[in-house]
Amino acid sequence: MSSVDYTKEYSVVEGSPRLSEIEDIIIRPLNVKPDKKFYMAISVTLTMLLIGVISLGVSFYYGTGMWGNNNPVGWGFPIVNFVFWVGIGHAGTLISAILFLFRQKWRNGIARFAEGMTIFAVMTAGIFPLIHVGRPWLAGYLFPYPNQHSLWVNFTSPLLWDVFAVSTYFTVSFIFWYVGLIPDFATMRDKTTNALKKVIYSVFSLGWRHSNRHWQNYEMVYLILAGFATPLVLSVHTIVSFDFAVSVLPGWHTTIFPPYFVAGAVFSGFAMVQNVLIFIRKIFDMEHIITLDTLEKMNKIMMLTGMLVGYAYAMEFFIAWYGGVEAEQFAFVNRAFGPYAWAYWIMVSCNVLSPQLFWFKKVRRTIPAMFAIAVFINVGMWFERFVITVTSLSRDFLPSSWGYYSPTLVDFGILIGSFGMFFTLLLLFTKTLPVVSIAEVKAVVDGAQPTHGDH
Amino acid sequence: MSDTVDKQYYQKKDLPDGVKKAGYILTAIGLIILVLAFMFDKTRASFNALMLLMFLTSIGVGSLFLVALEYLGGAVWSTPFRRISEFLASIVLILPIVAIPVYLGLHELYHWTHLDVVAADKILSGKAAYLNEGFFTIRVAAYFLIWILFYYLITNNSKKQDTSSDQKLTKKNIKLSAGFMPLFAISITFGSIDWMMSLEPHWFSTIYGVYYFSGTVLASLAALTYAMVYLNEKGYFGDKIKKDHYYSFGALMFGFVNFWAYIAFSQLILIWYANLPEETFWFMQRWEGEWMYVSLLFMVAHFIVPYFGLLAQPSKMNPKRLKFMSLWILFAHYFDMYWLVMPTMSKGEAPFSWIELGFPLLAVGIILIVFNIKSSKNNLMPVGDPKLKRGLDFRF
Amino acid sequence: MSERILYSYTGLFDTPDEIIGAASKTAEAGYTKFDVNTPYPVHGMDDAMKLPPSKLGYASLVFGLSGTIAAILLIVITTVVDYPNIIGGKPFFSLPAFIPIMFEITVLSASIATVVTMIIVFFKFPNNAHPMHDTDYMKAVSSSRYGVSIQADDKIFSEDQVKDFLNSIGAKDISPIYYDDEEINFKHNVLDLKFIGGLFLLAIIVSGTTYFALNKLMYMTPFNWMMEQDKAIVQSTSNFFEDGTNMRVPVEATIARNTKPYKFKNDPEGAAKFLVNPVPGNEKNLELGKKKFNIYCSPCHDNYGKGESRLRGQFPNPPSLHSQKLRDWSDGRIYHVIMEGQNVMPSYSSQINETERWAIINYVRALQRSLNAKESDLQ
Repeated sequence: MSSVDYTKEYSVVEGSPRLSEIEDIIIRPLNVKPDKKFYMAISVTLTMLLIGVISLGVSFYYGTGMWGNNNPVGWGFPIVNFVFWVGIGHAGTLISAILFLFRQKWRNGIARFAEGMTIFAVMTAGIFPLIHVGRPWLAGYLFPYPNQHSLWVNFTSPLLWDVFAVSTYFTVSFIFWYVGLIPDFATMRDKTTNALKKVIYSVFSLGWRHSNRHWQNYEMVYLILAGFATPLVLSVHTIVSFDFAVSVLPGWHTTIFPPYFVAGAVFSGFAMVQNVLIFIRKIFDMEHIITLDTLEKMNKIMMLTGMLVGYAYAMEFFIAWYGGVEAEQFAFVNRAFGPYAWAYWIMVSCNVLSPQLFWFKKVRRTIPAMFAIAVFINVGMWFERFVITVTSLSRDFLPSSWGYYSPTLVDFGILIGSFGMFFTLLLLFTKTLPVVSIAEVKAVVDGAQPTHGDH
Repeated sequence: MSDTVDKQYYQKKDLPDGVKKAGYILTAIGLIILVLAFMFDKTRASFNALMLLMFLTSIGVGSLFLVALEYLGGAVWSTPFRRISEFLASIVLILPIVAIPVYLGLHELYHWTHLDVVAADKILSGKAAYLNEGFFTIRVAAYFLIWILFYYLITNNSKKQDTSSDQKLTKKNIKLSAGFMPLFAISITFGSIDWMMSLEPHWFSTIYGVYYFSGTVLASLAALTYAMVYLNEKGYFGDKIKKDHYYSFGALMFGFVNFWAYIAFSQLILIWYANLPEETFWFMQRWEGEWMYVSLLFMVAHFIVPYFGLLAQPSKMNPKRLKFMSLWILFAHYFDMYWLVMPTMSKGEAPFSWIELGFPLLAVGIILIVFNIKSSKNNLMPVGDPKLKRGLDFRF
Repeated sequence: MSERILYSYTGLFDTPDEIIGAASKTAEAGYTKFDVNTPYPVHGMDDAMKLPPSKLGYASLVFGLSGTIAAILLIVITTVVDYPNIIGGKPFFSLPAFIPIMFEITVLSASIATVVTMIIVFFKFPNNAHPMHDTDYMKAVSSSRYGVSIQADDKIFSEDQVKDFLNSIGAKDISPIYYDDEEINFKHNVLDLKFIGGLFLLAIIVSGTTYFALNKLMYMTPFNWMMEQDKAIVQSTSNFFEDGTNMRVPVEATIARNTKPYKFKNDPEGAAKFLVNPVPGNEKNLELGKKKFNIYCSPCHDNYGKGESRLRGQFPNPPSLHSQKLRDWSDGRIYHVIMEGQNVMPSYSSQINETERWAIINYVRALQRSLNAKESDLQ
């Protein structure tokens, strides 16, 4: 790729494979028995999940006092992790909906997988607000239903908006994912020789016949869903940012929070998707479907969103000084030079400085380098949420009520468990469903579309 | 079908005479009104001059942003119309001239320029390191410099390509665009803070730059859409522009209408909800007396009308609807400037008279003249651009 | 086996260009009940088949707007009408705070409804009994080839003509598709005894296992929406505190908020002598006194203090407040009676606070003067 010819449109799938080859490659992982590596991987993730389950059990048995949350810092790890995981979940819908609206064909190879990650990430994220309320078995109270107390939920609270946003996001992402899977189920149904699998695939394919009369409506629905999912994905992290920004706490109440959180979410989500895809394309021989070009484009988006996040950091600082509100000024000085300065500088160096390496084409196209940077980004974005949540709470208006928050082992156990859950679900996903959309990839192979204008 | 575009077919053509005349007449009327306004009511004229400057900045710098965006995003469908944006972007060249009347009224506009006021005000003296005339001038000069520099760098390469068809120039422009983007973000943010947010020097909002940016892109997109549909209907783009191109413009405008509303709503709800006096007064100014009706009208004009006007899929490809909506959006953006600037001058009542009517005429006149001059010297399409053929053949 | 019923004739193609050409030729030949099956959506096919634009957009518009209206009704009815609460000093109807949930519900209802409409109304899915399933044709179009299928119920369908037509447009592997006898003759019977019995058995097993697991193994009562809570209920016995009661005595030498210890317990003379009315007898206080008098005193003393009780003899009538004795009493002495009660009158110290007591006394003074006015009042 020394020189690009701008007069040509490059196919997003390399090597012009035949259509039947594509489905063979994509379906193969579902038909071969898991190998040793798979068992090794899943035993690691299950161990992590077990650690999380034990930590949660301990928390339920002894109560939330097992966590580091203390009096000034009531929102410790659970909220940090919640925001982190919801953020991870943003890349999937972004790839499948926004890039679809922008007709970026390279999304077709990675959309299914990213959507799957969205669903698992939102599931993981959903745990945290539930456990943070202290009595997760009373979660029914979060929904407005007529009850004998004739009490209703507070519709003007951002925490309730969260309930609606996250549950809507999960539902719509799930529908989106399933709608995309229907034609693939049909293809697998016609391909499989196993009677049981055939029944399962038939049921889920709903009797799809690849009919163009259906494709027409199907594409329409896909467009409509993408049109809905795009503002939805913005709204979810916007509402998460409202949790912080509608308050009057210095460092939380700032008007740039909504777009800033969305950019951050996309940033971390892309980093996570990129990390996992690097393994997937290698293990399942999909290097020509999930190409290096695709990864490079993802890296560019990470660079862009990284700079947006950097812009927000800078704006916050500037306006804190410019606004002339003393508490606000203190909050930001405290962030950068206070007791949590270490977290702040980890955040800045990971989120703002490390993606700058993507200016170099060489870095954008070297797998180990981009992998490392994406890991740094994820670390940095986790610390961003930590910095926002903890520094502002630990030192607010009244110096007499300042405190220092330090997480406990149980907190870390739950964090590890959340990664365990996420990756366990992902590993199971790779073995049960096609990780790449068969129909969508076929549609963008060389020669898959008619040449216009000649008939 | 050949692989190259028939260059002759897309060579430059003169614009209709009506457009040329309209430009000069509107500019002349506008200039007279400007001079009269400065004679009658200097304060009010200065505020109007600021609105004019910000509107033209939106169109000029926004168009430059669109050009850079096309290069960076590798967009193909918009390549045939990139020249329109390039012509509109040349407004940045005359921005320093448009800024002169604003400079004449600096003391009327910004009360942080009065040293005695600043000295008596604790908050303002805290900001004096930033808000002082010297540093203000340096910053404004820097913005103009950045915009003009990148305008020349990018459009020169684009022009050269018309004759050489050299693909390296595309690559060069991609790199230039990448360099321009961060500078654009900084300059547009601080430009809007300096010129408009500091009208109320006590007020602050971190999203202000993003808010202005969203309006900027929307306005320049609307200008581009209008010019493109108008010229295409007159046959300037040949016969290859189809509803797929129209749809892309319609969808993009629709998207940015929503983006603007999202940013505006985020700013409103956060300030409304937290209810801190140092922030809410800015919105209260726009909710007291007549301003309440103006604000309600503003919401309808800037969001409700374009939203429902562009919601349906057929309306995004309907040339009539597109022309109407893009003019409407341009009007709404001028309204936006009015809504941002004017409440500082007049509390409780919304001023509207021949002065407020005259300045937009000048804006339209200037845009037309600039477009005219540029289009008479250059090709209306980047005929040497390697992506042009694909752009013309663009289908979903 | 009876003769099989023909569903359609199919032909296969190998490239997207061919199928587009075939589709437009089929449409031009006048067939309306035909279909094109492709492994992925082929661009330009809708035009080639002369399909009208999809109408699904209307479904999502209707359901989306219904969602918005439902959301605003839900929010307004609950937070403005049914249970208004002041939150953050905002008005009950504060639209900006309603918008996020309105938006979410709009998106949710529109997305679900659009997809469900597409699957059930537009596609008539689930339909795994379609004759096309499990044919070689289906397997081919599912994977890598493109097919045209002309249905037998088309108006101008005739077997030979269609075969020739498919040949003429260059189709390969032309083959008929028949309805599956088994599926035609298959009768759904939801009232089948086995089916109902199976459901019944399933219900018993599921509920029984759940009951056993939760109530017997885990000792978890079914969720009762906090009807039972681990909290101290007043005036019930406690296993937690040593003295066996749930209510606690206040710490020694503390008093409740807004109360003052009364210095003249059992000392009416002291009260008469030392207590001074601090509340001025202005209009506002007289209004207050009247209100409180009418609430607390008038049931026995009647509205004018004459002692004409409204209790119709169920409680002894008190003496008139207009007697000389009472007119001569100092304010402090009357205060003492309100505080401690007198004869059968109980203490009113817990119902009426200090300001109100004095206001009542002012009002009683006004009542007294209304019947025994001074010379000066008459002028």
